[in-house]
Amino acid sequence: MNESTLFVITFILYILSAFYYLGFLFSKKPNSAKTGSALAVAGLIIHTAALIVRTVESGHAPFTNMYESLSFLSWASVLAYVIIDKKFKIPKIGPYIMLIVIGLVALASSPLMPKEATPLVPALQSYWLWLHVSVTLLGEAFFAVAFITSIMYLAAREADKKEKWDSVSYRCVAVGFPLFTLGGLVFGMVWAYKAWGTYWSWDPKEVWSLITWIVFALYLHTRIVMGWKGKRSAVIAIIGFLAALFTYFGVNYLLAGLHSYA
Amino acid sequence: MKAFIKFFTSIRLAIVLLIILAFASLLGTLIPQQRGLEEYAARYGQLSGLLIRLQLTRLYHSIWYLAILGLFALNIVVCTLTRLSPKWQKAVKPHVQVEAKSLLALKIKDRYKKNAPLSAVKAELEKSLAASRYRLRSAGQDSKVHLLARKKILGIFGSDVVHLGLLIILAGGIVSGLTSIRKELALKEGETLSVPKASFELRLDKFTTEYYPDGSVKAWKSAVTVIENANPVLAKTIVVNKPLTYRGYSFYQTSYGWNWDNPAVEIWSKKKNDPSFLKKLKLKVGEQVPLDDKDQTSIFVARFIPDFVLGEGNEPQTRSLQPNNPAAFVEGFRGGEKIFSGWIFANFPDMDRIHAAKETDLSFELKSFEAGQYSVLEAAKDPGANLIWIGCVLTMLGLTLAFYWPHWEIKAVLEESQGKTEAIVGGIAAKNRDSFQAEFEKIMASARRTQ
Repeated sequence: MNESTLFVITFILYILSAFYYLGFLFSKKPNSAKTGSALAVAGLIIHTAALIVRTVESGHAPFTNMYESLSFLSWASVLAYVIIDKKFKIPKIGPYIMLIVIGLVALASSPLMPKEATPLVPALQSYWLWLHVSVTLLGEAFFAVAFITSIMYLAAREADKKEKWDSVSYRCVAVGFPLFTLGGLVFGMVWAYKAWGTYWSWDPKEVWSLITWIVFALYLHTRIVMGWKGKRSAVIAIIGFLAALFTYFGVNYLLAGLHSYA
Repeated sequence: MKAFIKFFTSIRLAIVLLIILAFASLLGTLIPQQRGLEEYAARYGQLSGLLIRLQLTRLYHSIWYLAILGLFALNIVVCTLTRLSPKWQKAVKPHVQVEAKSLLALKIKDRYKKNAPLSAVKAELEKSLAASRYRLRSAGQDSKVHLLARKKILGIFGSDVVHLGLLIILAGGIVSGLTSIRKELALKEGETLSVPKASFELRLDKFTTEYYPDGSVKAWKSAVTVIENANPVLAKTIVVNKPLTYRGYSFYQTSYGWNWDNPAVEIWSKKKNDPSFLKKLKLKVGEQVPLDDKDQTSIFVARFIPDFVLGEGNEPQTRSLQPNNPAAFVEGFRGGEKIFSGWIFANFPDMDRIHAAKETDLSFELKSFEAGQYSVLEAAKDPGANLIWIGCVLTMLGLTLAFYWPHWEIKAVLEESQGKTEAIVGGIAAKNRDSFQAEFEKIMASARRTQ
C-alpha cells in the first residue's frame, strides 16, 4: 500500500475517533470513549506505517517540507495524547486533541501543501535532521496536550476536576520542556554549528524557539518557586503553546530567515 | 537600599528579566536586523534614525540587550547560590530529629503499634526501606529513635545544574563574541589562500556540483588540501554538513559562484540560403577564429554576459552572477573589415540582434558556455563553542535530574513504652507524589506485616 492510501486511512480513523469521543462527551458512556481511544491508537499505527513508507520511498526523514512536518506533528500529537491518557485517564480531552489533529491532517492534505517528496537540498543532508526535528516536534506535541488541558482547567467548574487538569498540564510541560530544550535548542545548535559554523545566528526561528523556551521557563519558575498554580499557570501554558505554534508555523510564512525549509 | 538588594537577589527579578528578554527578542524578529542604511530609510522613513540610535537594528548585539543578559546572569548566580547552601546542608547534614507532630501534619503518613521492642520494629522498618533503596540515618536514645530515609538526593540539585549550564552557555556566547574568527574564502580551482590568523593555507583542488535527475542541486563538493610550511599535510572533500576541521579551524561549504573572467562558448553558425552549411565553433571570449575559409570570414567573441539585461541608457549589463540569461557579443570580419556585430542569446535562439554592415546571410546560435566555478568556504574558529556544548550537557543533565530524579524522603519516630513500640512515619516528595504514595504504602505494608 502506498503512502497516500495509508494517509487517507489514518485520516478516516482519526475522524471516527473524534466522532466517538464527541459521542462520549455528550452521552458520557465510557464505552464510547474506549472506542474513540482504540480508533486513535489504530490511526496512530497506520500513520506510523505511512511515515515509514514515506521514509523508505523518499530515502530521507519524513519532515523536509510543510506537508511532511504537519503529518509528523499530528502523529506526535496523537502519540503524546495516547501516552498521557494511558497514565492519567483523561478521555475528556480526546475530542479536542483529535479535532486539532484532524485540523493538522486536513491542512497537510490541502492543495496548498505540495506533497511530492523532493530530493534533499544539501543543507538538510544530515542525521541531525532526524534528531532535531523529531525531538522538537514531539516536545511541541506535549505542549499541545498541555494547551488543551489548560483550557479544560479554565473551563472546569468543580475544584477536584480543576486540580486534575492543573496537574496533568504540569506533567505535560514536564515532558515537553526537556524534549523541546534538547531537540529545538541543543540539537538545533549542534546542527547549525556543523552546517553553518555558528551555533546561533539570531535567525527569527531561533529567536522564536528561545521565546517559547522562556515562556515555559516562566511557567516552571512561577509555579515551583513562587507557588503560582491554577489559572495563572494555565494562561502561561496557553501562551507557551501559541509561541511554539508561531515558531513552527508563523515564522515560515511571516518572517524570513535561514529556516526556509519547513 | 535593603529592599533594592532584596529585589535584586529575588526570583521576582528573574521573572521580570525573562519577560523583558522575551519581548525584546520578539521585537528583533519584527525589525529586520543588520541591514543597510538605505533599507531602513526606505522602510521606516524618518523613524529609521531613531531605530539605529536605539540599536534596534542590531538589537541582539546592542548594549542594552547585552546588559539585560548580564543582569540576568548575575541574578541566576545570586538566586542559585542563596538556594544552594540550605540544599547542601540538607544533603550533607540532614536534620534527623523531627517531632512526631510535624510528621502527622504531612499528607502522606502512617502510624502503627507493635508488641515488640523498639530495636525489632526499627530493624523491620529499616529492612523494608532498604529494600526500596532508601539510604538510612538514625538518631536518638534507647526508648525513642528518629529515622531518616532518603533516595535520589541528587534530584534536589537539578535546577542548580541547569542554572550552571545556562551560565556556561552565556559565558560561551561571550567568548564566541570576543574571540571567534570568521572569514569567507572564495577560491577558484587551483587557488591557494592563507587562513586568517593561522599558520597554514588552504588550496582548492577541485570544485564540483552534483545534480539530481530533476536538475536541483544534490551536493557541492570542494576537494581541498591544507598546506603548512609549503607542504601539503591533509586532503579532504568538504560538503555541506561535513566541514573540515584542522588546528581549531573549521571550513564550511557555504556558497559557490561562477568565475566569468574567461568563459568559453560554443557557437553554431548557419546560412539562411544554404541549409547544408553548419559550423560548430568553440572559442574563448576575446578569441578570433576563422568561420568560412572560402570568403575569408572570421568570428570574434567580444563579450559574454551571464544574466543579460539592458540597464540605464540601454547599456547591456548583468543582473546577477548566475547564468540566467547568457548572452555573447559576436563580431564578424572579412579581410580586416567588420561586416556584422550583435548579441546572441542562449535562451532565445530566434532573437536576431545581428546588425550587418555588409549583406550576409549568416546566423548564429549560442549553444553552450563553460565557465570555471569558484567555491566559497567559510573559515571559522570559535573557542566559545566548546563551552556551549558543556553548558548544553549540564542543562540537559540538570533538567533530567529536576524532572525525572525526584528526591523522596521518609521520616519516622519510633517510641517504646511498656514493651510496645509505636511508629509514626511520614513521607515527603516534591514530585511524582502518586508513585511515591504507592511506594510508601508498599513499604508500610511490608514493615507492618512482620510481627
